[in-house]
Amino acid sequence: MSDGAPRRFPGYGSGERTHFTPYSAFDVPADLRELHGRWDVAAIAERVRNYRYAEEWSMRILGGWVATIPELPVKTGLGKIIWDCAQNADALGARLPELRFARNPRSAALPSNAKFSALIEAIAEPEAPDLTIEKLVGVFEVLFPHLVDVYTHNIKHTDAIADAPSIELLEIIVDRHRRHAKWAEEVLSKLAEASESEARRRERRRVLHDALRESGGVTGDWDFSRDTSAEAQKARGLE
Amino acid sequence: MKRFIEHDELARDSRFVRQHNVLSTILGGVEDDVEAVVAAIEKYADLIEASVRGTGAEALFEKHGPGMLLVRPNEPMDPKHPAAKTQLQLRLHGVFVGELQALEGAARSLWDFPEAPWDFQMNMARQCWDEARHVQIFEKLLDHVEVEAGTFPESTFLFECACNEDPAMRVAGVNRALEGLACDVFRDTLRFAEESGDETLRQSLDFVLADEITHVRFGSEWVREFTRDDPEYAQRVQDFRRQVDQQFSFGGARSARKDASIPIAREDRLEAGFSPEELEDLAELSDRGPSSETLREALRLLRERHERRQAAE
Repeated sequence: MSDGAPRRFPGYGSGERTHFTPYSAFDVPADLRELHGRWDVAAIAERVRNYRYAEEWSMRILGGWVATIPELPVKTGLGKIIWDCAQNADALGARLPELRFARNPRSAALPSNAKFSALIEAIAEPEAPDLTIEKLVGVFEVLFPHLVDVYTHNIKHTDAIADAPSIELLEIIVDRHRRHAKWAEEVLSKLAEASESEARRRERRRVLHDALRESGGVTGDWDFSRDTSAEAQKARGLE
Repeated sequence: MKRFIEHDELARDSRFVRQHNVLSTILGGVEDDVEAVVAAIEKYADLIEASVRGTGAEALFEKHGPGMLLVRPNEPMDPKHPAAKTQLQLRLHGVFVGELQALEGAARSLWDFPEAPWDFQMNMARQCWDEARHVQIFEKLLDHVEVEAGTFPESTFLFECACNEDPAMRVAGVNRALEGLACDVFRDTLRFAEESGDETLRQSLDFVLADEITHVRFGSEWVREFTRDDPEYAQRVQDFRRQVDQQFSFGGARSARKDASIPIAREDRLEAGFSPEELEDLAELSDRGPSSETLREALRLLRERHERRQAAE
């Protein structure tokens, strides 16, 4: 390198620098992400455990209902959504060891509090074949819209660089749940065509949303005044 | 929502009617004797008639009387046979409701066994999606062969036999016995599709069979896992699977016999984790029951008696 040619590797003296143009790690392409989010590793791990609890039980509840729902397209539609929830729960569980929580996956799921567990039980309660509306409303018009709100908030407020793996997997889950909401909206609109059915749908939504608020949501600390999404508005009867 | 449901709690829309499950096992313990077959069928004649009135199977009853139950298992499917279309309709409708019950069985496993290992739950969840697609595929195939869902009565016998309250027995029943039967039925129907040049049917079944082998493999692996280090439990689970498999042999209609209408899909089952010894055993236990010739003769006798009754009325 003594022939005056541009250096390709740094040397040991201040005059022995390479010729490459300096860029920040965020210059090309422009990246406006900043350090520091609302939660540290332990707090994110706990949230991921809360999310896994909701996804696992969604999978099981939908699994329990398939046999007791008479509408064929609902049975088959739920088959795919069960698999989506299983993949969501699995991906959340796989994130935990990366967050210093490497215990048995069986202990990965953690309800935020007893009231949230009671909400899950209330959602799972309808059993009879003439209660498809009540079944679907609980999962698709109360629980999933809430999860979408919380996950979206998490995506926005966690450390965008340090916690990017959580963001990526939550984005995939949010996309899935939005597809589920679209499917359920079409199904419920059809099933609840009669005004009496629509009233059942509204009442079920109101009761469960009250219980959801009472629990503080999937993480137990959710500020429900933040919910401005169409799904959340509907769940609160503000559509 | 309670854990564990009975087969008669499976929810259906208004197109469907049930067939009493006892009708699926009539030939189970019957000897290879024409009079024994005739007596076994006639014992349930009223039940058979009641289950087909107002359904697409009523015409079969009008023609054969209670012996109509023997029409399907009697002959291997042959595209050149004059009744081939009806046979195919009956078989695909039977598979359609079987897929529904397989979906329901796998889905209930998620709710009934929340403490099962996570990987087991993942397998069952995946099976839910697969079985849901199968229901959709067979609904399309019913259109393809010009028959509607609910045309024939549904027996919930598959769910009743397979859905045990013990997780190892559940997977032995649903994944090894029921899905194993599905492999046999699909391999034989694939042959029929190839012989009849029906490419839509052939390709659909080709994919569905691949899924079913995967589900049997889930069953083979989870039975091993659930019963590891407990030979007595493993034996009980194996005995349960054998008992279900005997019922799913429909008196030899599904067997390794030359005259079986549904041969055992040996290669597919090996691929899915059945051992050669288990297949020998399956061939032996499904071999019991009336021969095709006996069934044909019994069907003739039953039809004659039915015609005499009709003439007298």
